[in-house]
Amino acid sequence: MAGVSLKSVNKKYGTVEAIHSIDLEVNDGEFLVLVGPSGCGKSTLLRMIAGLEEITDGTISIEDRVVNDVPASQRNLSMVFQSYALYPHMSVRKNLAFGLSNMKMPKPEIERRVADAARILQIGELMERKPRQLSGGQKQRVAIGRAIVREPQLFLFDEPLSNLDAELRVQMRVELAGLYNRLGTTMIYVTHDQVEAMTMATRIAVLSNGHLEQLGTPFELYNFPQNRFVASFIGSPKMNMLEAEAKGGAVELADFGSLPLGDGVSDGSLAVGVRPSQFLVGDEGDVHASGKITLVEYLGSEMFIHVQLASGRVMMVQAPGHSVYKLGDEIRLGISRRAAHYFDSAGLRVPLFDKQDS
Amino acid sequence: MVETTLHNPDAISTAEEARAIRLTRARRRSRNNIFRHIFLIICSLIMIYPLLWMVSASLKPDNEIFGTLWLWPSEFQWNNYVEGWDALVVSFSRFYMNSIIITVLSVIGNVISCSFAAYAFARLEFNGRNIWFSLMMMTLMLPYHIVLIPQYLLFLQLGWIDTYLPLVVPKFLATDAFFIFLMVQFFRQLPRELDEAAMMDGCSPFKIYWAIIMPLSIPAMATAAIFSFIWTWQDFLGPLIYLNDVKDYTVPLALRMFLSQDSVSLYGEMFAMSVLSIVPIFLFFVIFQRLIVQGIAMSGLK
Amino acid sequence: MRKFLAKNAPGYLFLSPWLLGFFFLAIGPIVTSFYLSFTKYDIATPPRFIGIEHYEYMFVWDARFWQSLKVTFAYVFMSVPGTLIFALAVAMLLDRQIRAIGTYRALFYLPSILGGSIAVAILWRQLFSNAGVINSIVELVGFEGPYWLSDPDYSLYTLVILAVWQFGSPMLIFLAGLRAIPQELYEAAEIDAAGPFRKFFAITLPMLAPVVFFNLVLQMIEAFKTFNSAFIISDGRGNPLDSLLFFTLYLYNEAFSFFRMGYASALAWVLLAIIGFFTAIAFATSKYWVHYENERG
Ligand SMILES: Nc1ncnc2c1ncn2[C@@H]1O[C@H](COP(=O)(O)OP(=O)(O)OP(=O)(O)O)[C@@H](O)[C@H]1O
Ligand SMILES: [Mg+2]
Repeated sequence: MAGVSLKSVNKKYGTVEAIHSIDLEVNDGEFLVLVGPSGCGKSTLLRMIAGLEEITDGTISIEDRVVNDVPASQRNLSMVFQSYALYPHMSVRKNLAFGLSNMKMPKPEIERRVADAARILQIGELMERKPRQLSGGQKQRVAIGRAIVREPQLFLFDEPLSNLDAELRVQMRVELAGLYNRLGTTMIYVTHDQVEAMTMATRIAVLSNGHLEQLGTPFELYNFPQNRFVASFIGSPKMNMLEAEAKGGAVELADFGSLPLGDGVSDGSLAVGVRPSQFLVGDEGDVHASGKITLVEYLGSEMFIHVQLASGRVMMVQAPGHSVYKLGDEIRLGISRRAAHYFDSAGLRVPLFDKQDS
Repeated sequence: MVETTLHNPDAISTAEEARAIRLTRARRRSRNNIFRHIFLIICSLIMIYPLLWMVSASLKPDNEIFGTLWLWPSEFQWNNYVEGWDALVVSFSRFYMNSIIITVLSVIGNVISCSFAAYAFARLEFNGRNIWFSLMMMTLMLPYHIVLIPQYLLFLQLGWIDTYLPLVVPKFLATDAFFIFLMVQFFRQLPRELDEAAMMDGCSPFKIYWAIIMPLSIPAMATAAIFSFIWTWQDFLGPLIYLNDVKDYTVPLALRMFLSQDSVSLYGEMFAMSVLSIVPIFLFFVIFQRLIVQGIAMSGLK
Repeated sequence: MRKFLAKNAPGYLFLSPWLLGFFFLAIGPIVTSFYLSFTKYDIATPPRFIGIEHYEYMFVWDARFWQSLKVTFAYVFMSVPGTLIFALAVAMLLDRQIRAIGTYRALFYLPSILGGSIAVAILWRQLFSNAGVINSIVELVGFEGPYWLSDPDYSLYTLVILAVWQFGSPMLIFLAGLRAIPQELYEAAEIDAAGPFRKFFAITLPMLAPVVFFNLVLQMIEAFKTFNSAFIISDGRGNPLDSLLFFTLYLYNEAFSFFRMGYASALAWVLLAIIGFFTAIAFATSKYWVHYENERG
């Protein structure tokens, strides 16, 4: 087990800067998830930690050892690739043992570790098969097996579940979480699936355009997004954003009217964010607006309704699955000022009601 | 849905009509196909007639070889093969030995050296890689005749004339850019992550080449080996220039000696040895047809 | 510095055989050849610089040089179109799922793979001899066969026929190209009631243009370099009456029969220039008749 520490790590491909000076501390035994939109540099960051990609600037240390110039195989870590990268010409057993025999480990020890991994992952019957004779889920298990036989200090995963179908993905997610609880090894996990991130992570790092936007627990990210990017990136469906103007301790919201916020707010433009689940229907809340339902998405346990307000703006509202909203219905929405999020003109969070909320 | 179709007379007639059209079309196609087959069979026969004629000439008595199109010998002269084998000043055992040595070494040299270069170009990062690669691609287009004379002078200086070195050493130096190109194409389609996984598993670049890339590239290596075999076996200009001693001759050079002995008629023997000389290629062709066809389609090798 | 070495060492190690070959057997010889082409050199005495004298002699005085050009060009301009037309025609016959396609393909390809061998060149000589198979056929039809090998008016055709006989490898490339044409295009054309000719000129040929181009360049270069068969059929000298004096044959004889290494080098550069010129023309004009799929997408 080991902590990982990144200090002003920077990566350039030619003149293109893929990672802009990132500082990141991963604690010993932590399950850190890296999320962000496609192309934001998640894989690049992970591959730099793995040693597959050179870093342009900065230092990476694993367990207090600077590993900038340490080759990948000597960083005492394992990586699971999105495409699994199993050696097609080797049996499952050979795939698992290949790295160990490269380390010149004694035969009995290799056999013990391979057998252990096979038991943990329940791939005992597959040992003599070639990768092409395995299903997607089985390949995934073997790929994880290849990572755990090395008994590393650190696991790296690059979107390991993205090639699986939805059902299998849920199952493997549970198994990975179980594996983490059992081994307690530090894990860094790249995904663009929010559910994976929220359910598995002890902490999440949100990246965008090569910048680290926020690092925190899933709870912190969901409830206290530090900027507009994180606010709209975390949570599905996306947070509704109402652009507004603050003046004299109150904010003037189109459709909803004036929302008093107290002394903490300075004049200027202010964005008010309301998650679909935080809208109140009916007379509750501090300000209200009426609108017409233009679309109902029914998901069973809940439904998402699109409400068009008088100004033409469309709000996404979450309602319980047993509600009876229909297309064309009039509906009255309310916002509670404590449940909303506020962002200044630079997109940074204005912590108005955070204290009371937590 | 089913019911409406059944009770709707229009639907029935449309369906029948469609079936009728499909049938006539199928019939027309099959008639077309028969003509096409007949045509193709005739073409194939014309194509291979010369080869069949050569085989038949190798088995005919000398007086039946010319002046007739008939292929079946009145009497099989298997003796042509026996006598042809020793018809020249040096036995064909020697010529085959020479050809085999040169060919085997060339194939090994080509596969090793070209796969090395291709691995470097396709998989390794180093300064100047793109420049070297484009220079390599340029040699692909270069006619051999430009380098022929200076190479000869170089080998002359080294005292390599009348040895196999000028024919074999270049093969170990990856001079056949075609094969490099073929292998680069193949290596590039292997997932990069395999190399990376192997790197994490503690493989050196050489180990990745040997334990991952090579086992996964057997088709490409086989294709290169096959073409290398065929070309070297048939090579004429190289041996013609570098080998002067009859004892060192390869099979093609030996065959040519039959021509300069026109006065003595050794036609049966000449054809017998000609047939034998292409048997190895023919066998390779039959066994590895699929790889050869793929190789051509992939890269336009001749 | 250590980092630089660690990054570059494996690549250059793997590349080292090729690099050696490249310098000693490609670049070195190219430079040498260029230099030699401006010298008189017979191996026995050191090369003597004579400027452009060889080139001057070649173009102004050397009738055999012009003869060899004439022979080679005639050969290229007859054999390449012939080969390509046969290759395309047969490929189209083989394209649709037809039974035993593998066998046909193999039979048509077989001559290509054997065609460069001395055995086939020897065979060809006999096929076209006065009492050979070809004349037997010609007589069967009721004509009198010419002296293919000793009549300068006919000798070149033996080699052209030999080249066309080897249409197999461009055929395979055409087949691969035909396979890649999306079937929907033909179906769409059928709905538009296009006949077979229209389909060929409106779909097959344009879609196949890159492959035609590729084959054309390849075959042309190959044809310019023809040597083995010409050597065997013309007794190694271009007989009869220099009517088979291929450029490569002339070059070979200048170098290795008469040891005029300087002059032969100059010939080699002319060959390179010719091949380069025609390849360049093919590339330059290709943008008018070759459209690549991904250009549009
Ligand atoms: N070898 C490379 N050369 C140049 N640019 C690259 C290279 N690899 C990645 N990039 C660029 O770096 C940026 C980050 O890429 P990266 O693969 O890390 O994204 P990602 O967050 O993993 O995206 P995804 O979710 O799609 O996998 C991208 O803009 C990409 O185009
Ligand atoms: Mg990625």
